[in-house]
Amino acid sequence: MGRAIYKVKGGKMIKIQLALENKKIIKDLRITGDFFLHPEETIEDIEKALRGCSLSKEELVRIIKETLTSRRAVLLGASPEDLARCIIMAGGESD
Amino acid sequence: MIEKWRLLDTGLDDAFYNMALDEAISIARSEGIAPNTIRFYRWRPPAVSIGYFQSMKEEVDIEACDKLGIDYVRRRTGGGAVYHDTEGELTYSIIVDDAHRLISNDIQETYRTLCSGLVLGLRQLNVPAEFRPINDIVAYGKKISGNAQTRRMNTVLQHGTILRKVNPALMFRVLKVPSEKVRDKLIKSVEERVTSINDVLKRDVSFRELKEALIKGFENSFKIRLVPGGLTDFEKNLAYRLKREKYITKEWNFRR
Repeated sequence: MGRAIYKVKGGKMIKIQLALENKKIIKDLRITGDFFLHPEETIEDIEKALRGCSLSKEELVRIIKETLTSRRAVLLGASPEDLARCIIMAGGESD
Repeated sequence: MIEKWRLLDTGLDDAFYNMALDEAISIARSEGIAPNTIRFYRWRPPAVSIGYFQSMKEEVDIEACDKLGIDYVRRRTGGGAVYHDTEGELTYSIIVDDAHRLISNDIQETYRTLCSGLVLGLRQLNVPAEFRPINDIVAYGKKISGNAQTRRMNTVLQHGTILRKVNPALMFRVLKVPSEKVRDKLIKSVEERVTSINDVLKRDVSFRELKEALIKGFENSFKIRLVPGGLTDFEKNLAYRLKREKYITKEWNFRR
């Protein structure tokens, strides 16, 4: 299980907990923190969409952005890039 | 004719009812059976609330809370963990239709607009308050108010705290700290970053005086008149149901 905490400059705190498959595919993850996301349930959609995704920053950002667009969701205090960065940090901590 | 909103002062309640009532009023508003509303409330027993996306176990020292008789509850809004002291804090909520002139599509902009009522109210008291993005109000650069918003069913709920007295040592008994070693450091850093009305004005400001100033602030800033009112039976019944079925449950509070 990998974990990472990332404080966005001028923004909020992101905490990631994740499990990997074959050291590179996301099996499960949980995104917590004190950011804002409207509508709030979109967080579960993002977590679901990221399962099976590889630990590539580009792919993570693309999937997060797609999920936000399809739900017409707004993220505040953190960006898709910040989330991706923290996920990759957690991936590096994972064994 | 000046636009009228309802003013509620629901006094002291527990954390679960307080959060349930904010949601019940929002639902009533969205169904068109409640007017735009500003509510004042306080927390008894004291409580910790966490943001929608936070983990209860990671943010809150459950054992310490249980020992001290402090409730813990998950909010329906994002943002951070807050310790709500019975005597140290006043909480407000604004429940307004999202088509209202005060509400913008831009969430950051809406924080600024809705917080301007508080800023003006605090300035009435001679607290040099300013809005600080994303969602804070500061005085002399130190945080004095934190705010959080959600939008559902064409209704905006913004609730937030105004610190009257601050007690960082107690705050860090109930919030988790990374290690005991940093506890004192964190307490010190809160003392440097957070302030309160009593600290700024160097006198004891009553809840009554604070509420009166905020009412003027909201009225002048929003160009509205606040008319004291009560809860409807619909809101009361729904709040009791939401407390029982949602806010007091482990499923909700420990879901993340």
